[in-house]
Amino acid sequence: MTTHLGLMAVFSVFVSVAFAALTREEPADQLRFAVRLFAGFMLVGIVLGWVLYPLPL
Amino acid sequence: MRATAAERTQSTSNPYLICAAAWLIPGAGHLWLGRRQKGLIFLITLTAMFAFGIWIEGRLFPFDLTQPLVALSAFGDIGIGLPYFAAKAMNAGAGRVVAITYEYGNAFIIVAGLLNMLTVLDAFDIAQGRK
Repeated sequence: MTTHLGLMAVFSVFVSVAFAALTREEPADQLRFAVRLFAGFMLVGIVLGWVLYPLPL
Repeated sequence: MRATAAERTQSTSNPYLICAAAWLIPGAGHLWLGRRQKGLIFLITLTAMFAFGIWIEGRLFPFDLTQPLVALSAFGDIGIGLPYFAAKAMNAGAGRVVAITYEYGNAFIIVAGLLNMLTVLDAFDIAQGRK
């Protein structure tokens, strides 16, 4: 649970669910939007991680 | 056509009182306005997000105006309402800077507060009949 990926996934779940409930009215729409948002968070996080990987910090 | 329970609640309640309730208890504004499903989602999700942030050793920041970023973080923290005061009363949220999860914990706590502020605005819009 304390891995970067695990924490990012938990964070993404919470934010996706809250945003979906906030911006969509129908439960089916909420579920679809939450899944898309979660997938977007994970994809962007992983891509950004690899893009930043070669940079010396 | 007869008004639904939610519509009757919207027309008889003070929107500012609803906002105060929505801030104090995540989801309470929506529950008050008859949006039970959304209210329960906010109550569970935002409270759990805040508690998770505390659990992984995030910090509740003080209102230190000499450090603007710390004060901004404190503003985000307090957005969650009652859980913030409950955590303070239990001496939780001291944060441990050397913990590997410290920064993540801060992000969970602050974002939970900011999301709750969005739910307050949403509840206000519903109470005003805009949604």
